[in-house]
Amino acid sequence: MIYVDAPLLTVKNLKTYFYLSKGVLKAVDGVSLTIKRNEVFCLVGETGCGKSVTALSIMRLIFHPGKIVDGNIIYEGIDLLKLPESEMRKIRGKEIAMIFQSPMKSLNPVFNIGYQISEAPIVHFNLPHEDAWKKAVELIGKVKMPDPEIRAKSYPHVLSGGMRQRSMIAMMISCEPKLLIADEPTTALDVTVQAQIMDLLLEIKKRSGMSIMLITHNFGLVAERGDDVAVMYSGKVVEEGSVKDVFDEPLHPYTRGLLGCIPVGFKRKTEIDYIPGTLPSPINPPVGCRFHPRCKYATEKCVKEEPQLIEIGKNHTVACHLYGE
Amino acid sequence: MENPLLEVEDLKKYFQVKKGVFAKPSFIKAVDGINFHINKGETLGLVGESGSGKTTVGLLVLRLIDPTSGKIFFDGVNIAEKSQKELKEFRKRMSIVFQDPLASLNPRMTVKETLKRPLIIHGIKNEEECTTRIINILRMVGLGEEHLERYPHELSGGQQQRVAIARAIILNPDLLVLDEPTSSLDVSVQAQILNLLLRLQKELNLTYLFITHDLVTVRHVSDRVAVMYVGKIVEAAETDELFSNTMHPYTAALLSAAPIPKPEAKNIERFVVGGEPPSPINPPVGCRFHPRCKYATEKCVKEEPQLVEVGKNHMVACHRAKEIDISSYARKIWEILMARTKSV
Amino acid sequence: MESIKGSLLKKFETRSMLGLARFKEFLLLLLHYKASCIGLCIVMGIAFLAIFAPIIAPQHYAEIDVPNKLLPPSLAHPFGTDALGRDIFSRVVYGAQIALWVGLIVVLIEALIGTSLGIIAGYFNGKIDKIISALADLVWSFPTVVLALGVVMVIGPGITQVVIAIAITSWPSFTRIIRAKVQSMVNREFILAARSIGESDLNIMLRYLLPNIISTILVLATLTLPSAIISTTALSFLGFGAQPPTPDWGAMLSEGASLLIKAPWVATFPGIFIVITALGFNLLGDGLRDLLDPKLRW
Repeated sequence: MIYVDAPLLTVKNLKTYFYLSKGVLKAVDGVSLTIKRNEVFCLVGETGCGKSVTALSIMRLIFHPGKIVDGNIIYEGIDLLKLPESEMRKIRGKEIAMIFQSPMKSLNPVFNIGYQISEAPIVHFNLPHEDAWKKAVELIGKVKMPDPEIRAKSYPHVLSGGMRQRSMIAMMISCEPKLLIADEPTTALDVTVQAQIMDLLLEIKKRSGMSIMLITHNFGLVAERGDDVAVMYSGKVVEEGSVKDVFDEPLHPYTRGLLGCIPVGFKRKTEIDYIPGTLPSPINPPVGCRFHPRCKYATEKCVKEEPQLIEIGKNHTVACHLYGE
Repeated sequence: MENPLLEVEDLKKYFQVKKGVFAKPSFIKAVDGINFHINKGETLGLVGESGSGKTTVGLLVLRLIDPTSGKIFFDGVNIAEKSQKELKEFRKRMSIVFQDPLASLNPRMTVKETLKRPLIIHGIKNEEECTTRIINILRMVGLGEEHLERYPHELSGGQQQRVAIARAIILNPDLLVLDEPTSSLDVSVQAQILNLLLRLQKELNLTYLFITHDLVTVRHVSDRVAVMYVGKIVEAAETDELFSNTMHPYTAALLSAAPIPKPEAKNIERFVVGGEPPSPINPPVGCRFHPRCKYATEKCVKEEPQLVEVGKNHMVACHRAKEIDISSYARKIWEILMARTKSV
Repeated sequence: MESIKGSLLKKFETRSMLGLARFKEFLLLLLHYKASCIGLCIVMGIAFLAIFAPIIAPQHYAEIDVPNKLLPPSLAHPFGTDALGRDIFSRVVYGAQIALWVGLIVVLIEALIGTSLGIIAGYFNGKIDKIISALADLVWSFPTVVLALGVVMVIGPGITQVVIAIAITSWPSFTRIIRAKVQSMVNREFILAARSIGESDLNIMLRYLLPNIISTILVLATLTLPSAIISTTALSFLGFGAQPPTPDWGAMLSEGASLLIKAPWVATFPGIFIVITALGFNLLGDGLRDLLDPKLRW
């Protein structure tokens, strides 16, 4: 029995490792998170924290030398990691879809966009080609591109960055997925176009009730568009909660550091707060709490023992020895 | 009293696009007649989206590309028409830092060699003096002797950018052009580099031309800001004035679109603008922003507005600047930006 | 005086140590690719033969022994003897010297001409580029051997002449690729940065562009060597290259062509070695290219 209030997707202790000649790259090392229905869930972190790999793991798009080593990904009561590939294919594109950062690299340059948008409905719903084409034109209109019938015949290289991203979105919502994973969807676009694309995504979400998993390193996007947020560092989730809670009362020193080093609220041309040190190597992460070498509150316990996620306040969890007990 | 270190007059750069042997050549009007100045010790922020021409301006100022027309006064001397040979003297006094630090360093040169080249080119050949100066400059940018023999790919992004900055300041220049110096770095590293740039500016009395698309950063580092759109400057003012008393619809749109990392910003009314920046090959006639502007009138479609002074040091290129009030949008955002963060 | 020498020595030491470490790493990676492994073995084998020819070959290549002419392969003569009683095995082994030597010289000259022109064309663009490209296209559209033949007709036959002829007609293959590579690098930020600090054009080409295309040159050289060897053997086969008694493999092929039915071993063994050598370099070059190119992509 699926309750309406039940979460849409729950990730439990996900571990995805890459086996390289240099060593084992633990891209995702025990990540748990929960995405509710009809919400915008943000996954934030810097380069190498494992957020993109988490998304790819959910889609089971991890290939050699990577491997999902442990964990459960429960979607509507089913553990995606236990499904055979043929079943997973029915879920990809139809139930869970993904858009990427660089639309030029994700669109096939030799087919027009009408064709590409109609691919998924043909595969998942067995629609005949003419109907699929009509649906594609309709979707192009839904993503607010002018002259859909003409646009459908265009090739990706003649479209601008914003239009390409809209084409990608049209492609991905063609089967009305319940979860749309957006991996840095606006990073490569101009600021004014970014706002349009985010507005579009939220409008689609409102109309269809789908959830969006937004992966980004831009805290502005999180603050303005997100409902819940999880902060990742070195393959682990260090803090999770509603956007309001995490921004107003950041618990983890890393979250505080990140929020503090944005040049907002400082006197002009003065030095802003920053986090000392550099990101840890994903092959040899620090023992104990991975953030301890850069943390001004680090204690002996932090050096030896890895903190677990504990709940502080309503639905606000943090993995840090400063809290709990 | 005001002694601009850099002054640019009606600067233009057109790139020719050939579409075939028999087609008429068309031009990309990357920079189409701009004027600005930077005083010594100041930071001018140059803001714009793709196609605005802001990067081209940076390359023009350094004469890395030749202007199609216009004047570039560096410390009173027009360098726009000087030959590359004559420019060698000026190369000591101005330098540039690029967006992608790995791409801006020669992959086959160690840090030491990279930093040595500027010294040797400009006459400092004594081995000992070179080494001293190099080690000094490395310390200044937060690196150490252990980095001397490293190659760029052995350094982190932040370290690479520090080397690029070191190379730019090793000859004690007057002007530094910074083209999106932090955009490809991680957030935590961006803060470190910004702090470094601010510190260096004070210590070495540098003048910055800070080119970026990030309004939050530009607000923090600039004394004055100029906004570019499709090859032209549409608004220029002191930073606080620009943000609190915005007069050009495009500037308001930019400010409205920039995501602000504060949840309160979620509910502010935004100045929404549709469409995308036009191609610089055939920009719209009249005001270039008119196809996207909800205040556009017949005059805007036909006649290009000139950059005029409408307030204290505040220039706008808009026919209706004095009639419309869009500053309210920007002001609310600016107020949120200015509010001090809760101390953590 | 002492300090300069000392510092130079120290610089060389660190460089060579770094270089050695990277070379070791490189070699280990190369061994991953089985095909290029085989290639490497073949090349090393041929090189070994060439270097130690006087020790390996039982007889001198010009030793005539007419009573024992056209003997089939046996213990005394593993590859048999030719029409003048010379031991074919010895001649093949000495032939390796010539093949490699000639191949190397040809590639060296080709690389020098081709690379310089390629860098100049790619860096300066405009008129200079047009002239060089047109010249390259012109030279390239003639079949190498025919053009080389023409050159040899003018300057006379002989191994040295053949080497020159082949080199000056095959350089466009280098120029094309180097030019394209340079064009892709010229607008990269590190070149712009070099110009911004005042580097001269010559320095940019030598210190910035050249070191970054060395791997490309290396791969090209390895892949062009086989065709250089084959072109020289072709010319020798036609009688324009090595003059008797030089044990050039192509010349040996020519000598054995008419004896193919009576004494096939005379032509077969040199022929096999030509093929193996070319194959070896091709395999090695392929492996090198796979190894070096992805790393170069940035």
